[in-house]
Amino acid sequence: MQNPDKFTKEKNLTPIILAMKDLKELYEAVITGDAVTARSITEEALSGETDPLSLVSEHLTPAMDEIGRRFEASECFVPELLLSARAMKGAMELIQPRLLESGVELLGRVIVATVKGDLHDIGKNLVAAVLEGGGFEVIDMGVNVEPEKIVETIKEKDVQIVVLSALLTTTMPAMKTSIEAIEAAGVRDKVTILVGGAPVTQRFADEIGADGYSDSAVGAVAVARKAVGA
Amino acid sequence: MNGRERILALLEGREVDRLPLMPITMMFAADQIGANYRDYATDYRVMAEGQIFTAEKFDFDYVNTMSDPAREAADCGAVIEYFDNQPAAIVENQARLADKTDLASLKIPDPLGGGRMNNGINAVALMVEKVGKEKLVEGWIEGPCAEAADLRGINTLMLDFYDDPAFVRDLFEFIIEMELRFARAQIDAGADSIGLGDAAASLVGPQIYEEFVWPFEKKLIDGIHEMGALVRLHICGNTRPILGDMARLKCDIVDLDFLAPLEEGRKKMGPDQVLLGNIDPVRVMRNGNAELVTSTVAECHRQAGKRYIVGAGCEIPYDTPEENIQALHDYAASHRPDLDDS
Ligand code: B12
Repeated sequence: MQNPDKFTKEKNLTPIILAMKDLKELYEAVITGDAVTARSITEEALSGETDPLSLVSEHLTPAMDEIGRRFEASECFVPELLLSARAMKGAMELIQPRLLESGVELLGRVIVATVKGDLHDIGKNLVAAVLEGGGFEVIDMGVNVEPEKIVETIKEKDVQIVVLSALLTTTMPAMKTSIEAIEAAGVRDKVTILVGGAPVTQRFADEIGADGYSDSAVGAVAVARKAVGA
Repeated sequence: MNGRERILALLEGREVDRLPLMPITMMFAADQIGANYRDYATDYRVMAEGQIFTAEKFDFDYVNTMSDPAREAADCGAVIEYFDNQPAAIVENQARLADKTDLASLKIPDPLGGGRMNNGINAVALMVEKVGKEKLVEGWIEGPCAEAADLRGINTLMLDFYDDPAFVRDLFEFIIEMELRFARAQIDAGADSIGLGDAAASLVGPQIYEEFVWPFEKKLIDGIHEMGALVRLHICGNTRPILGDMARLKCDIVDLDFLAPLEEGRKKMGPDQVLLGNIDPVRVMRNGNAELVTSTVAECHRQAGKRYIVGAGCEIPYDTPEENIQALHDYAASHRPDLDDS
């Protein structure tokens, strides 16, 4: 995938200039969805002095915020959003092991799931990607997820935040069932539960006893950060 | 004037006794006859019974064979999951064209080869036999963007537009040929109209829509017109950025979902385009009451003007109260297209 020749020229530059130039380009690469460039710059930066956490907080997160804003404003659409998410995820794959190595604590462990009966996952995938870019460790449980599976994972993986997505009016009740299962299993106090997806509203979130709601992926990160006090 | 005559007259610009009524029902229709949805989607006799029962009970002007997006993909060998009380769905992580190179060896399935397309064609034939004189019979096919999403996986297709545009064009080319054959067989079975569902087209934005999707939709629509059938275009979701292009497709009926205002559709699509919709299926049809349905459809009619067919923005949810459908009917039955005549 990667083109090894592409960056030989830049390797001749002095490290300081390289770092500054590249990092601005990391933001741009995520915005334009250029996964190859995003990875190369991240690799380069990690081989130097750059603090891995600042790559996330100063470049990846702002880039996903900006692309999210453009999406809300109909300045870009689902393909562009998914391209950016992919570019960001590629960079995150390189950064995460380094974060763990350096002992930096991630903001928290999150599970994301589309609830039982529902197969829509574009929005859920975006929320997962943006949370990852926002400094969370994400466990993606996929679509059509049984409440029992969610409970199991909370118990096994010491999860702090549960993100539930539903796109169908007919599957919104499964959010309630999932929350009830979490309660019944005695782990409700351990987790913050966020709900979202096009038909979900703040009122519905309140009714079923969720802890947070947002109508966008970027909003999801803000609520999640608040939940862990970051 | 019966339902079939009413719809045809409106489309041809002749006088009609009242507004035509063409809401989409699928799970609702199965429920009406107490059938489970798996049977509705896989057995044409169950579907025809549900459609005819529902159309006669609520005096709809048409019957329709849509059940889920997976008919064509199933015949192409895609992995499909069936549910008792939900539409069949494609298993995306085992998409038929997860490996792009499989396209080269993928053969267009014979629509009459005994698969799910054949079942849809049988549904058309049975509906024509039972009610074809009184009600308009509408077949169904998937549009290029929706079908490509079904074969390739929607998340992957969205990236393909940038990663490999040539592949997307080859895939669309394959799909158009398959859909034209499927349409041909439904028309031969007696369908008056072919509904063209291209849900994913509302996700790609105006640039990709115009460059990739539109030319193929156009080819498909022109092809169906040449076969002598009508075309109804149904793109779910927010189509506001592409309304102008949709007008240039020259479909006989264009559905607008609740996210695309009829007023804007009318402005962008000109005075002659027949528009259908765009009542919010969930907030108004399912969760509202008869009064809200009546006031909403009246407002839709006002915005759309006389080239208008009564319906919701998308499928009527299965647990919609019957009074609300009755209210939809009562509005259509008591109004002529030209508001001044009513
Ligand atoms: C793509 C699509 C499909 C694809 C899904 C493929 C996939 N892998 O996802 C397919 C073809 C399979 C499909 C099937 C069906 N669909 Co569909 N589908 C859509 C469509 C076109 C787009 C949805 C989408 O991806 N939007 C884009 C994403 C980015 O938006 P989003 O998910 O809302 O996510 C954003 C926010 O909500 C938020 N968010 C999401 N989750 C969360 C979670 C948290 C915690 C937070 C904080 C935020 C958050 O962040 C995201 C980014 O901003 C919509 C119509 C439309 N154009 O909107 C219909 C739609 C959702 N589908 C609908 C229906 C009815 C169906 C079917 C029942 C149709 C049928 N009869 O066959 C089946 C059901 C299948 C099933 N069991 O799930 C209806 C739902 C109506 C309703 N309210 O109940 C819609 C609205 C179409 C319509 N107008 O009727 N569909």
